Amino acid sequence: MSASGSTQSRSLRKLFGLSISEKQALFAYAIILPTLAIIVIFRFLPMLQAFYISLHEYDLIRPPTFIWFRNFIDLVQDPLFLQSARVSAIYVVFSCVPVWVLSLALAALFNREIRAKNFFRSASFMPVVMPAVVNAVVWTFMYHQDGVVNTILAWFGIDPIPWLRSSKWALWAVILIGIWRATPYYMVIFLAGLQAIPQRYYEAAQIDGASSWNQFRHITLPLLKPTTLLVMVMSVIVAMKVFAVPLIMTGGGPADATRVLPLFIYQTAFEFFKMGRAAAMSVFLFAAVMIFTIFQIRLFSRGED
Amino acid sequence: MMRGSSRYRQMCVTYPLLVLISLIGLLPFYWMVACSFKTNENMFLMPLQWFPHPINWHAYGDAWKAQDFTRYFLNTTFIAVAITFGNLLLGSLAGYSLSKFRYFGRGVLFLLILSTMMLPLEVTMVPLFLIVKKFGWPNTYEGLIVPFVVDGFGVFLMRQYLKGIPNELIEAARIDGASELRIYWQIVMPLCKPALAALGVFTFREAWDMYIWPLIIVTKDSLRTLPLGISLFMSNFGTSWDQLMAVAAIGTLPMVLLFFFLQRSFIQGIAISGLKE
Repeated sequence: MSASGSTQSRSLRKLFGLSISEKQALFAYAIILPTLAIIVIFRFLPMLQAFYISLHEYDLIRPPTFIWFRNFIDLVQDPLFLQSARVSAIYVVFSCVPVWVLSLALAALFNREIRAKNFFRSASFMPVVMPAVVNAVVWTFMYHQDGVVNTILAWFGIDPIPWLRSSKWALWAVILIGIWRATPYYMVIFLAGLQAIPQRYYEAAQIDGASSWNQFRHITLPLLKPTTLLVMVMSVIVAMKVFAVPLIMTGGGPADATRVLPLFIYQTAFEFFKMGRAAAMSVFLFAAVMIFTIFQIRLFSRGED
Repeated sequence: MMRGSSRYRQMCVTYPLLVLISLIGLLPFYWMVACSFKTNENMFLMPLQWFPHPINWHAYGDAWKAQDFTRYFLNTTFIAVAITFGNLLLGSLAGYSLSKFRYFGRGVLFLLILSTMMLPLEVTMVPLFLIVKKFGWPNTYEGLIVPFVVDGFGVFLMRQYLKGIPNELIEAARIDGASELRIYWQIVMPLCKPALAALGVFTFREAWDMYIWPLIIVTKDSLRTLPLGISLFMSNFGTSWDQLMAVAAIGTLPMVLLFFFLQRSFIQGIAISGLKE
């Protein structure tokens, strides 16, 4: 199975005092080393350090002082933090659930025989192509009181909505963009999953006279389960990270209505220079993400060997 | 008869639906470009102008002069290219190591890399900033590139792909006396082209999109990236919408080109990001 370690190579002559398999192992270590260094220094260490800093008070100027769990205690009593966590939770739930349904429906649509499929598929995929910052800028413009969104709504007799100026609407405006941009992304993943389902299952079902809904219900959905779980986990983690759009469109306002957790962490750290506090918030976010990551690693490792 | 009615239904339901979906996907693009050619007086004219008239040709030039967008554009291009090449090289090397060699600690290393895969930057940004600050890297290209020059996803993707390459090819080259590095470069890499293309396009798109990190470590104008420049331009008082749409369109153009010319790899990168094998 393995590339090295066969009886043949072990009996080969030694070079520089190392056996062939030892030389190969050395090579294997050498080529993974740069990656390992980067990942340990810039991913793994910061992860550990986040916990360390969260137990300190630190403003970047004076040396950090150890204050036990003060930051965490303050946080759970801070109405701004609770509001921010609530906004993030609403964002995650109300942007992800529609994305799951819509992206699967779109994938099912594009998995059928359609004329000019490539054109329609590319057109519906375009939101993924737009950079996040551009997305925020263009939608801010479109959400303008006299902008194109309200104009289209007016065709259906809906009064203009003060999208970004009202604390009631702003979060929904941000959520709508999230759905717009994420749906085609997960559509692609679902489509790959759908195309992996052997056609003969459907052929057999058709011979038995199963309706297309029953085919979807009893063949597609069960076989698509791993993909579905994965999309759910990925989309939730991505939604937890949303940052550029609320920052640029509303700066977290009006009245804190769109201050998602990553945005609040950023502002606490780099506008108010409360590093310990921000790190404590990161730990909360980390805990939430971790639950989903562990779940996902299990999904990944199920496909191993 | 059954066939006929389902055809009919497809014509009347599927196509209008597809047209509607396409319009929703394309509208912001159209609106961005159309409004970059509108005059500012006509921007919010009622009823709304769907086609710019008269055409305003100045937005692009004026916006480009208002801030150093050439510099921002070049910065972003350089950073995205560097990050992409780093990911391709280091990701494939690490993936090769993890898939085709046996050594002590391999499983642990793989798990370590895997565990950072879904770790959002938003969680680690405070400590990461402190580390990069210790290196003296705020306001440098190193600070913008090095932390992202390899990523768990790339390693994972390359490892999975390389596992499918037969060991016999590598063994045969060894018997012929090829050095390990040469086997990697001349035998393994050419076989990985589809995976490398998908990873490359995926990474480039992510790097082009990067916002929160440059926002944290860049304060000097000469190091601003395009996303930073665009958001700064928007927050500047008195920026007009036509110019803002013009910059937005320029910032989108490379991604649109990437999508049209490398569509397969573009889509594949995303499809792979959701595969478990």
